[in-house]
Amino acid sequence: MKDMNTFEQFFYYLSENGVYVLSQFFQHFLTSIYGVLLAALIGIPIGILIAKYYKISNIVISIANIIQTIPALAMLAILMLGMGLGRPTVIVAVFLYSLLPIIKNTYTGIMNINRDLIDAGKGMGMTRSQVLRMIELPLSLSVIIGGIRIALVVAIGVTAIGAFIGAGGLGDIIIRGTNATNGTAIILAGAIPTALMAVLADIVLSLIERKLDPMKRQQKRTA
Amino acid sequence: MKKLALLACSVLLILAGCSGKNAVEEGEEISIASAATTESAITAYIVKGMIEHYNDQDVKMINNLGTGVTLHQAMVNGDANISTARYTGTDLIGVLQEDPMKDPKKVTEKVQRLMSERFQQHYFNSYGFENTYAFMVTEETAKKYNLKKVSDLKKIADEVKVGIDTSWMTREGDGYKAFAKEYGFKFADIFPMQIGLVYDALAAGKMDVILGYTTDGRISSYNLVTLQDDRQFFPPYDATLIATEALLKAQPDVKETLDKLQGKISTEQMQKLNYEADNDLIEPAIVAERFLEDNNYFEGGK
Repeated sequence: MKDMNTFEQFFYYLSENGVYVLSQFFQHFLTSIYGVLLAALIGIPIGILIAKYYKISNIVISIANIIQTIPALAMLAILMLGMGLGRPTVIVAVFLYSLLPIIKNTYTGIMNINRDLIDAGKGMGMTRSQVLRMIELPLSLSVIIGGIRIALVVAIGVTAIGAFIGAGGLGDIIIRGTNATNGTAIILAGAIPTALMAVLADIVLSLIERKLDPMKRQQKRTA
Repeated sequence: MKKLALLACSVLLILAGCSGKNAVEEGEEISIASAATTESAITAYIVKGMIEHYNDQDVKMINNLGTGVTLHQAMVNGDANISTARYTGTDLIGVLQEDPMKDPKKVTEKVQRLMSERFQQHYFNSYGFENTYAFMVTEETAKKYNLKKVSDLKKIADEVKVGIDTSWMTREGDGYKAFAKEYGFKFADIFPMQIGLVYDALAAGKMDVILGYTTDGRISSYNLVTLQDDRQFFPPYDATLIATEALLKAQPDVKETLDKLQGKISTEQMQKLNYEADNDLIEPAIVAERFLEDNNYFEGGK
């Protein structure tokens, strides 16, 4: 192995262990997605709620802010005490980190809707749930997706650290690289797919975000 | 406001549902814990491969845990019900908090009895290899100072840089303190680091002497010289696996599968497997799979 440079070693490693890297890639991706979906499931309703009762919005957002300031490794260590090792703990950590961007973006999205539109809806005799479903949610959807996008990119990074508490994923490969003789290539084989995943997730979600932007949609229709 | 309270309650319920007694603790699901060493990972994947081959069951892995003591914690907490690789010496001193003993047979016997009594865990017989601590130097250093035994280090203890495993520094019984007492000297410059880094540090000339593991594949790849433990300071470290008795009771055929591994891997073989993973850049999962296929999953107890 010593006659190869790091670059050659990297490709040699991928050719020898491609299937393994791919399986870790998907496990990593799923762990991140589960956490973010769970956060969306709970964060979006909270965001809608605090947009309605905006007196409590300060409290909720500052709690989410505080969660965000805890370093990932410390968060995992704290959660580990209560939940033990393995994937569920990392999913909960990802969930907690995803709350702030999702809640905040949902809140901002709904608060920024033109009041006149909502008044027009109410004037037409819409019920509160109709206003929510037909005006507020469609108009703020792209901002909410923007929040999910931020959350997912952060989640992919947090999941990589999750390998320290036995969650598997690409972080596993990185840690192994620090243990091997010619570890650089192995570290790269774990780090590059992780970065790639984050960039891809960002691009795909930004495309969706742009597609759902009501201003853009309108322009298309008139064009 | 009512809705908010309802929401908070449901979040708490979801979190609460995650803890509590689980399928792993009761032995219905299998979860293997392994430490952050290559050897631990390879043996864990060997055990996983064996169980999947014979018992047709999905196995969860918890990789990269810190030390043997962390593995024990994972089993006591119910996160895992099998852990590997475990070493008799580590468990005797680190987990059971007993005094060090030198006779390998007596150590195995005592650890097996006490682990069952205190923690309801079944300590299997060894895989057949031993992975003990040893001081190592490069060939040049050995020649320069004429080093053969650990006692020979005494005359250069003040001038060398020594790289050691982080856990050995604070370990009771067979750690650095006890070592200094037994051999009668201390090193001036000592650098605790992750065990995987010491071999590279030695080969790169950053360290002069290291404390490494005897089964590491890099010993042969870097041509390192192992110094003889002339005072028999380090207790025996026979490698094996542990399973909870709850698991073996719930699934007796898993025990049959795991018994097949006893005495099947020699120290040289383990060095070779470690070398494949550490030097040839093959993942432990794949090394283990090839090893099992080459040996036909130890079919018929051969």
